[in-house]
Amino acid sequence: MEIPYVVTPRKDTGLFNSKIAIWLFLASEVMLFGGFFSAYVFLRLGADYPWPERTLPVLPGLINTFVLIGSSVTVVFAWASLKLRNWRMFQLFMGITVFCALIFMVLKGIEYNVKFHHQAVRLKDYTVMEGHLSYEKELDHNGNKVEENLIFVEASKLTFNTRRFEKSWVEEVLTQAGHHGSKIVLSADIAVVTKEGQPAEVIAKAGEPLSVDLLRRVEKTRLAAASHNSALRTESLREEWVKAHAAHPGKKDWQIASGVNIDTAALAPKLLTEVSTVAFNVDPPARLDFKPRDIKEADGQSRLRDDTVVDGKLLASPMGFHYVDAIDFQHLVMKAKEKGIDPEVAIENSWLIKNSPFAKEAWEWHQGEVAKLKERLLKDYGLDKSGNPKRVPTHKELYRIGWKDFAKKGEQQHGIKLSTMDSLKEEFMGPNYDARNPQGDDTHVEGGHAKETFPHFSLPREQIGFAAKFTPAWNTYYAIYFTITGLHGLHVIGGALVLAYYLFFGRKMYLENPEWLANRVEIGGLFWHFVDLVWIFVFPILYLM
Amino acid sequence: MSSHATSHAGHDAHHEDHHHDPGFIRKWIFSTDHKMIGLQYGITALAFLAFGFYLMMVMRWSIAYPHQPLPEWMSWVFTDGWKARWLQDGKVTGETYNMFGAMHGTIMVFLGIVPLGFGAFGNYVTPLQIGAPDMAFPRLNMASYWIYLVGGLIMCASFFLESGSAKSGWTNYSPLAGFADGQVVNQWLAGQTQWLIGLVCLITSSLLGSVNFITTIINLRVRGMTWMRMPFFVWAMLVTGFLLLLAFPPLEAAGIMQLMDRVAHSSFFMPSGLFTKSEGLADLSGGGSPLLFQHLFWFLGHPEVYVLLLPAFACVSEIIPANTRKPLWGYKSMVYSVLVLGFLSFVVWAHHMYMTGMGAAVSTFFQTTTVLISVPSVVIITAMLISLWGGSIRFTPPMMWACAFIPMFGIGGLTGLPLAFNLADLHLHDTYYVIGHFHYVVAPGILFGFFAGVLHWYPKITGRFMSKTLNHLHFWPSLICMNLIFFPMLVQGMAGFHRRWYNGGDAYLSKAADSVNVFGNTVAEYIDMNIIMSMGAWTMALFQIPFVINLLFAWKFGKKAEGDNPWNATTLEWATPTPPGHGNFLKEPVTYRGPYEYSRPGDDSDFLPQWIEPKRLDSADKPADKQ
Amino acid sequence: MADTPEAIKKSVRTYMFVGGILFLGTIITVLVASVEALDVGQHGFDKWDCILGLAIATIKASLVAFIFMHLNHEKKAVYWLFASGLCMVCSLAGLTALAIFDPIHDPLFFGKESTTPKILASPSLR
Repeated sequence: MEIPYVVTPRKDTGLFNSKIAIWLFLASEVMLFGGFFSAYVFLRLGADYPWPERTLPVLPGLINTFVLIGSSVTVVFAWASLKLRNWRMFQLFMGITVFCALIFMVLKGIEYNVKFHHQAVRLKDYTVMEGHLSYEKELDHNGNKVEENLIFVEASKLTFNTRRFEKSWVEEVLTQAGHHGSKIVLSADIAVVTKEGQPAEVIAKAGEPLSVDLLRRVEKTRLAAASHNSALRTESLREEWVKAHAAHPGKKDWQIASGVNIDTAALAPKLLTEVSTVAFNVDPPARLDFKPRDIKEADGQSRLRDDTVVDGKLLASPMGFHYVDAIDFQHLVMKAKEKGIDPEVAIENSWLIKNSPFAKEAWEWHQGEVAKLKERLLKDYGLDKSGNPKRVPTHKELYRIGWKDFAKKGEQQHGIKLSTMDSLKEEFMGPNYDARNPQGDDTHVEGGHAKETFPHFSLPREQIGFAAKFTPAWNTYYAIYFTITGLHGLHVIGGALVLAYYLFFGRKMYLENPEWLANRVEIGGLFWHFVDLVWIFVFPILYLM
Repeated sequence: MSSHATSHAGHDAHHEDHHHDPGFIRKWIFSTDHKMIGLQYGITALAFLAFGFYLMMVMRWSIAYPHQPLPEWMSWVFTDGWKARWLQDGKVTGETYNMFGAMHGTIMVFLGIVPLGFGAFGNYVTPLQIGAPDMAFPRLNMASYWIYLVGGLIMCASFFLESGSAKSGWTNYSPLAGFADGQVVNQWLAGQTQWLIGLVCLITSSLLGSVNFITTIINLRVRGMTWMRMPFFVWAMLVTGFLLLLAFPPLEAAGIMQLMDRVAHSSFFMPSGLFTKSEGLADLSGGGSPLLFQHLFWFLGHPEVYVLLLPAFACVSEIIPANTRKPLWGYKSMVYSVLVLGFLSFVVWAHHMYMTGMGAAVSTFFQTTTVLISVPSVVIITAMLISLWGGSIRFTPPMMWACAFIPMFGIGGLTGLPLAFNLADLHLHDTYYVIGHFHYVVAPGILFGFFAGVLHWYPKITGRFMSKTLNHLHFWPSLICMNLIFFPMLVQGMAGFHRRWYNGGDAYLSKAADSVNVFGNTVAEYIDMNIIMSMGAWTMALFQIPFVINLLFAWKFGKKAEGDNPWNATTLEWATPTPPGHGNFLKEPVTYRGPYEYSRPGDDSDFLPQWIEPKRLDSADKPADKQ
Repeated sequence: MADTPEAIKKSVRTYMFVGGILFLGTIITVLVASVEALDVGQHGFDKWDCILGLAIATIKASLVAFIFMHLNHEKKAVYWLFASGLCMVCSLAGLTALAIFDPIHDPLFFGKESTTPKILASPSLR
């Protein structure tokens, strides 16, 4: 027997198999995206920070919407062409569809890439600063540029955990120390008992240089010793329990448990040595750098995520902004209002305004702009019945100085103007730092008196509350943005692969059974329309709201 | 037009699947035949069940004898290195207990029972019962199995990671699960991450499976198999398919978001200002919602219970009429009940969350729907019970299990009622009462249904019966042990024993005499039950051996079944040759009547199968006009 | 179902027309969100912008579903299958919303004023 209704529809349901299947699949997809959209709504309604409203550049999103709608039209044309048995037209329309998918993904890639290189930092007092990090003067040991966002420790001693040391970090530390002309050597002999009842033997001498091999060697003896000791201790504990049960007949375990212990003294001679940490001296003490997420830094003793302890002085580790392109007081204002503090006062007292002349100047300029906006809104829309202005600036307009504001300030104060083409490019790639800071890096002056739009700033580490790139880590808005669009992008890729398969390998199918190919294209098309349908909601929700 | 004609259209493109020997690999490993895939699912699921059972045995040791080293007969499985890492002087540590607890739940639910019920029984029996040659999409079916296997292996492989496997309970609540194994440098190699990846695989697998099942049932029914002539088994599978299709995606969303929290450091489920003892103030943006995870999880979690249960209902409702020689009582009401059950199961989930501080309106809503959903379940179980009434019951091996299923599931179901009421739940939440309740549903309930199913369809699969003697040796001790294990849990739970104590409450005892520590005295009173329960569990493990022996030996040495319909049953799977070949039926069957035509007045034999052409045409026996 | 060549040729014009409306709808959405003169409700984003934006999106999505995905003349079974998904997604979002914004959630219920800050006033969210 053959599987029926592969091509022709069943009479009573009127459907062929794959049509039922795709609609079931779409129902399931509705639930999946429904789950994400629900998550979006609840995260937004429950957000305890100012939701970044209308924060994405609209133009790439708009073009992507056009591209997807266009491809939705062409895919339905492709199907119609097949139904009319016109292979050439099918190829044309399907080709356009797949090409649209390509454009969509390229634009998406540009959008993502800009965000991955854009830094945000939330200060301890909830001022938010955005921009581009500077690079360290020195390249890293692979010759790559390193962003000025590292923790520096004048390390004098490194203690590795033999169970969990991270191989690549050991190697990194070695290269860095070598770079500074320091040696990392074992502080003391490692003497271990490796055979039961034998005296301790030295497996590594003091002064032996740090290497992954050395750590592995110690790890190996530790593991062997742990297995051996654990077996012995288990056996001993078992014996103790047999004795205890005999000595206290009728007693329950928990009544006698405190008296049942391993006879450590008797066991000691049989045990092997378990070396859990190995200490190395850095000679002379060298400046090592670590990525902020990998280290819990403290003056004196810092700890890496793999339990390596770094002894040494914590050096100044500022976060260097090559260009600050936004200052955002929305979160600070929100916190101030919760405490009943006047927003303007809170901003005046913020660390940034007090410590940075350029921020102070920008804020004053911004207040002037806001006043102008208020005036204009009052003029255009007037007052309502109770005498209040009908339209007032939004929270974002009041307390955020975004990159476009900085650009405007640059235009007003320094007459820095960009060509239309460059301005258009900024809509995709973010601010054009080179064109807007025409004097280049040399003239960076704190306070922004040079002819520049985006100032330079060095932020002391202790002021940082939370820092991240514009990735899912920055806040729940970006998290849901990346998750929904990422998943949608995967759907686009998946759908495009299927459609491309019909385009490039469908000829044989077309000649054998054109109706079957038409059915398949219809199914693929249904999926493609669904992907478009999801985007129709994604675009306004994530880009315009 | 007969479906013969319609099937010809698809003939040309499909002929490569047919008329030649597929070779060893295509036949046994990468098979697209629904029966082989069903068997693969069954064997894999039984293996996972055994593994999950073993984890539980270790946990039961820790609960009963927290101060004593794990005995040799359990610990020989581990290598010395593993013991040194995860046991302390041979004793089970809290961390290890959590790890085993989380994995026991996950393995039993996602890797054991769902694949056994839906994957194995559903795959093997559904196409046969509706007279289909195979599933609608055989290759999708194969993909479904392999993705399931990969997902399961990924999860189990995480035991060997440096971090160990997931340890945050099978529910994996954030922020606990979001932070778990945070010390691991490469987060992709952390147990919790692997759990999430495995879960995404399992969800994909069940999505493919459910799409396939529903399509098959809607479109591949043979001529005359109208909706109301479908065996109850098929109805149950249809509803199960819908539950899997629609309930799993929100969990997939939650899983992906938790994965993002772990590997991309997002804060979907991490609130602001999160502080942990080891890490201090979390280096996270915060602003997320831990409860969102619970909503998304339990939106799956509750329908999942019915995904586990319905296949067991399905098996039992086939076995009862065949062994009472009496139609299933109230077939139509059962069908409507199962549909209502399916729908209601989507609107009851927050009864798992009464303790999250939800308001009165929403608790009342969920309390009402939860109590409502017991109505269709009771209709089904009552219909099964009444089906026994006045039947000439043959206590065949499958019938014994089916008969035990009804009261055991009854206890499980009825003990759920107090949990449905939010006031009672405030006391019982997260106690052993909850554990006792759902294990009564799942272990002696659902698993007994599946044992019944294995014994019932074994003669169709192999042409031989399983041994009655070995079955007695399996059935009676299992029945007794199940109650020894789970009944004390209900008592302990009401006394307030928390479900996650790795030492069974031992920590309260050192101060039992202390007058301030009132709870210590309560614990002291009930703690000895731990030993009874653990003994019960280990004994039960012993008496599963007869089943394994039976399953393997009967394949070659069991008593031969006479004919293709050894139980004299009426549904279509018994019309196939034994074992059914590729394409199932020798010639396309036609269905003439309902599925349970037993002991019809005036008939010579006491059963009239669906496929037998009627001798005289009365109106009820006409094939339907529809296909 | 438009299966005859004539019917398909005829429906091609419908597809063009619908495609045009979709483009237009997108432009309207963007204009409403970015041009101050077209801004409904308060200045900047507010609930009216949200309602309007989603309404346009829903119309666009319905057009895609009904015309491009042929839901306007599909078999009954398809409606049942797809509706089951829509129905359950409403259950998910609606009941979760109910749990979060419970109308009978009274912080004074136990006689003590809630110390939670205002922003956390929907406590079920965290």
